[in-house]
Amino acid sequence: MTILRFPLSRIEGHARVEMEIQDGAVVSAQFQAIEMRGFRYFVQGTPAEQMPVIVPRICGVCSTAHHVASVKALENALDVKPPRLANEIRELLLLGQLIQNQATSLFIFTMPDRVGASSIFHMEDSEANPEQQLSLAQRALKVRQIGTKLITLAGGQFIHPVKAIIGGVTSGIKAEAAAQMLKEMQDTITIACELFDEYWDMSMAMRERIGTWGDDQPAYYIASTGRSKPEFNSDTIRVLGPNGNERASFPPRLFREFLDYEKTDYSFAGKSTYEGEVLRANSLARINLTKTMGTPCADYYLERLTAEFGKPAHPILLFDLCRGIELVYAFERAIEMLSKDLDYEDTSVPYSLKDGEGYGMVEAPRGPLIHHYIIENGLIAEAEFIIPTVHNMGAIERALKVAGERYITPQGINLELEKAVGRVVRAFDPCIACATQ
Amino acid sequence: MPDKKQLPKFAVLQLSGCAGCEVSLINANEWVDQYQLVYMPLVVSTASVPEDTEILLVSGGVRNDEDIYNLKKAVEKVDRVIAVGTCAISGGVSNLGDRDDVRQMFLAQSSRHHLPHLLPKSHPIDAFVDVDLYLPGCPPTPELFMAALIDPEGYEASGIVCVECGRKKLKDMRPQHLVGFQQGEVLPDICLINQGYLCVGSSTRGGCRAICTKPGHPCVGCRGPSDAYIEKESSVWFDRIQNVFERMTDIPPEEIKAALHSPQLSLFLFQFTDYSEGGRPPRPKDKVL
Ligand code: SF4
Ligand code: SF4
Ligand code: SF4
Repeated sequence: MTILRFPLSRIEGHARVEMEIQDGAVVSAQFQAIEMRGFRYFVQGTPAEQMPVIVPRICGVCSTAHHVASVKALENALDVKPPRLANEIRELLLLGQLIQNQATSLFIFTMPDRVGASSIFHMEDSEANPEQQLSLAQRALKVRQIGTKLITLAGGQFIHPVKAIIGGVTSGIKAEAAAQMLKEMQDTITIACELFDEYWDMSMAMRERIGTWGDDQPAYYIASTGRSKPEFNSDTIRVLGPNGNERASFPPRLFREFLDYEKTDYSFAGKSTYEGEVLRANSLARINLTKTMGTPCADYYLERLTAEFGKPAHPILLFDLCRGIELVYAFERAIEMLSKDLDYEDTSVPYSLKDGEGYGMVEAPRGPLIHHYIIENGLIAEAEFIIPTVHNMGAIERALKVAGERYITPQGINLELEKAVGRVVRAFDPCIACATQ
Repeated sequence: MPDKKQLPKFAVLQLSGCAGCEVSLINANEWVDQYQLVYMPLVVSTASVPEDTEILLVSGGVRNDEDIYNLKKAVEKVDRVIAVGTCAISGGVSNLGDRDDVRQMFLAQSSRHHLPHLLPKSHPIDAFVDVDLYLPGCPPTPELFMAALIDPEGYEASGIVCVECGRKKLKDMRPQHLVGFQQGEVLPDICLINQGYLCVGSSTRGGCRAICTKPGHPCVGCRGPSDAYIEKESSVWFDRIQNVFERMTDIPPEEIKAALHSPQLSLFLFQFTDYSEGGRPPRPKDKVL
């Protein structure tokens, strides 16, 4: 038996792919998460109120999602309802995260694949035209910085936010600061669209070159977004069947009744399935589960996508294009929100500690993220983190197998395989630090 | 634009951390025209740290045996090693797991086939290699990253977070208890200690520009001890923080003490994770930015 091992880069965290080949056929493709820090263990005994500061450190890429999910889980356990303004500021926080994440995935992680470069900082060796490559890195960094700035404005600290607290947020957003941010976003959204247009063209060119959009077999999709337009702070998870019918809708506390979870011996992350079938979360799932984006430019791109690929769409490289649509959406939605008063009421309500159990969920860039805590005497007795990357594990491995079958024949292994492995994994934008915590 | 290939080379090795340090670094863009980034798996596909690399930034703690191997191998090729982030410096947040019950849980997972062997605890990198500069923070701000790369000596920062915070310490506002967020309101401009929050900005090294306390969250000490305490035992800081609270509040000393020594020291996840059980030599302050 031949075992091929592929180290991975341009993804969050430490992972690798192993493919077993026998007589030119792919026997198995494993996606191995090879790090673990053990948050679910060491937070036991921690004062519950400290969780929103500790859990963002699960992952510096998804920190904001953990921060808000944590606060929601605590509020759920303590029966606290934050004021409306606090929810608006939390939404801005999640939009900042979405901008930062989608810009990173699009321009830093996957754009190099489209032009044959090792990174966006090494475009001089790439196939991109010289004019484009000169400014790509600087423009891409500028767009993702807008996300960081929004996180800082709405969340305080720029990577591991602090402003969301049980009962609300520590402070509102002053008119002056909002106006400043608004202006910067208005100035930058054109750059974001321009980069996305270039990205779209590069993707089409890549499709021509490699002859495929990757694994396009039907799958189930999971997201907590809204039916008619995107939502990132909702309390309902939905599952879509392969032909586009909604199959299930449930609150986070019932996830065990709908999702099966299994451990594997080759990865610190397990995998989840829905009725034994391959499940997909992340951008493509949200786009498949939502009617419109509800903002003009994002809707324009969505229509383009739907006209070309239908809905639900299944090819995995469309995850990347969907991220672009969401990037534009997040800009437009944040601009909308920043144009309104964000300092109109108290931002938090008092609460008292008690024993209890709570679930908190947000739609993270990678899909629905659930925190589940049991609180005893003000301390965390048990914590559980249900991570969207884990929902994608089966889908990643299926797509790897499809790629393997394309490039491995009894005659030999096509060297394109290594690149294909990178493209497949990056399409799902997995987060290993989260998946294993 | 200068010829990129002539620029000095730097590399970033990510051990067991959260990638927040790397994300902070890519929030700084000034280095793009001043350095060549030759290795950083998060954003560049290269297999290893090349020879003739000038600076190696290491983030994350040492959590498994692959971390040890990768760290030692990378360090061989470079002139200068900078430990970035609290994980690399003190084991950071995951060093909260340095307790018996947690070690046991790790041991139970430690030898899975196919997977790197987990160590019972997270170690700082200077337990294995020499470090030329420490850049604490969880994560350090982009501004601090740029200073570490370009001009560590020239970085202007206050000794402690309080100075950068600018909240006013009031004489006549003395809380009776550490009420924290339960009261449902954070007043602007007034020191958080006056409002009954456990803020450790008074012993935490400056340089972050007080990004947490300004919007109303107490400092949890991610930049680690200020120069006044960095070469001393942790008991000295405890006493110092205790003094600040006793001077500024009417909170019973036992309550402060209990909070400072709260379970697993979780409030001070950064300052004390490494020092709570003693045994580590202090880092010389002239090597800490
Ligand atoms: S120091 Fe903080 S930001 Fe850096 S890797 Fe560790 S947890 Fe993440
Ligand atoms: S104790 Fe905290 S809130 Fe008060 S001045 Fe210092 S850093 Fe600011
Ligand atoms: S205010 Fe304190 S916790 Fe926040 S970044 Fe600065 S040192 Fe770290």
